[in-house]
Amino acid sequence: MKPYRMRPGRLIAKAILALAGFLAVFPLVWTALNALKNNVDIITRVPRLVFSPTLANISYILGRDSVLTGLCNSVVACGSAVLIGVALGLPAAYAVARYPNRFAGDIQFFVLSLRFLPPVAVAIPLMVIWLQVGLYDTLPALIVTYSLLTISVIMWLAIPAFQGVPKEIEEAAFVDGYGAYSVFWRIALPVAARSLIGAIAFSFVLVWNEFLIALMLSSSNAKTLPIVASELSQQGMNVPWGILNASVVLLSLPPLLFLGVLSGFLNSVFRQKKS
Amino acid sequence: MRRRSSLPVTFLVPTLVILLVLSMVPTLYAIVIALQNRELSTTGYSWVWCANFADLFFDRRFLNAVWVSVKWEIVTVVATMAVAIGLGVLMFEVAGPRLRNVYCLLFIIPVLLPRVSAAFVWKFAYHPLYGIATYPYRLITGGLIFDPLSKPSTALFAVASVDVWQWGLFFAVIVLKLLETLPPQPIEAARLDHAKRWQIHAYVTLPMLKAPLISLMFVKMIESLRSFDLIYVMTRGGPGVATETLDMYAFSQGFIESGKVSYASAMAVLMMIATVITFTMLWKRVQA
Repeated sequence: MKPYRMRPGRLIAKAILALAGFLAVFPLVWTALNALKNNVDIITRVPRLVFSPTLANISYILGRDSVLTGLCNSVVACGSAVLIGVALGLPAAYAVARYPNRFAGDIQFFVLSLRFLPPVAVAIPLMVIWLQVGLYDTLPALIVTYSLLTISVIMWLAIPAFQGVPKEIEEAAFVDGYGAYSVFWRIALPVAARSLIGAIAFSFVLVWNEFLIALMLSSSNAKTLPIVASELSQQGMNVPWGILNASVVLLSLPPLLFLGVLSGFLNSVFRQKKS
Repeated sequence: MRRRSSLPVTFLVPTLVILLVLSMVPTLYAIVIALQNRELSTTGYSWVWCANFADLFFDRRFLNAVWVSVKWEIVTVVATMAVAIGLGVLMFEVAGPRLRNVYCLLFIIPVLLPRVSAAFVWKFAYHPLYGIATYPYRLITGGLIFDPLSKPSTALFAVASVDVWQWGLFFAVIVLKLLETLPPQPIEAARLDHAKRWQIHAYVTLPMLKAPLISLMFVKMIESLRSFDLIYVMTRGGPGVATETLDMYAFSQGFIESGKVSYASAMAVLMMIATVITFTMLWKRVQA
């Protein structure tokens, strides 16, 4: 691309971009720094960049039972819901992608429309239902509820991923005598694997970040990490800022681990579109 | 060979049945609860049919919540699309391939954060005395206090800025990827006609991307419905009722203030009907 515009315009454009890039990460970096500060260094009128770091906040967070329980609950609830989503969503997506029938459009719309449901509208009746069957405030209740999310999201994203698998490969496998199921297991799944992993990671991030349903379906035993973190902030006016910042960092780390996978997923989606 | 397989049935039917059960049971039950007068404190209840819905229309806080929700939708969707298109075009114009990759990575980070985290990060940043985002204001004015989250006129925008921070930057990446998928010939042709850069985008590239951009806006409209986490952490609907959206009001009616589960459910049902109808119509239009 040959630059033919005057310099100042490009310079301003670059400055705006740099500023946006800075704004994207700086608040997070600042939170991470605050997690390493003593309260004295946080409560200052002029923000302090130079301070003597402390690990007290982080060790306090990791030492609290409520935080560890929340972490365990989050891992178990999200992990199981994603596994269920994979087990039910991937095969269904493959069937829609490869065996088109006249309901395919309606099925896709139905799966998408689950996303239109306001979370409150799902959470209130579910709370009453779980209370009645005695499963309120338990992990199974949360897992079942989250499965609705993971199945629909994985299915929605996996349909294009399976459609992206070259048909010729599958046809060749049929000619070689593979059955329909072994084509799915041995051909479609491995070939589409990269996009599928992106879809699965996305569904994990989605339920990991979920707040409202977890808030309504748990009161003490089944609290997930976001709930525990939000409760830490309600300890009166004398907020332990460093501890709060540390808990925000802990909560944010798992989704950020998927940064690479998800940006690769985005790239592969658009490369498919281009070709 | 494909035709005769049992695969579509065995793969599709169980999943669809489970999805249907998991979605229809709460949906129908929400309607049932909305027609009763259940409360959290007592176990007994009776049928009141449409009384809850009738009450809603005379509840000024509910009408306020509707208005706040509409404002929230408009502000976040418009701002997100503006930021996304602006930054996407800028990246396309002035950033080389390597720099684009760096920006793409940076811009995806905010949206991956749990909304609770994002809300906390910015709640600290907006703190009037110690916040990093209000620091420039304190510096310039010599220590005056600016508290965006507790002023009714700015609170909604302060919360919305966090939403745009998460989604606008992320969508900028998608807009860039969309621009990259365009064939270069029309752009070259416009350039040969001495079109200015902004003209190329306003009249050539963005119109070519109309369909995907509308789908993107559609996605954002759906995601904007999930404002609860941000508002719950940052303002709890306050100051007063300035940021009380429908889901926040339903939650506080049902669980914080009075435990009127049925009343809250009536609100949720109205919301559900409104969103399902609106989005179904929009979706059919987008597809057509």
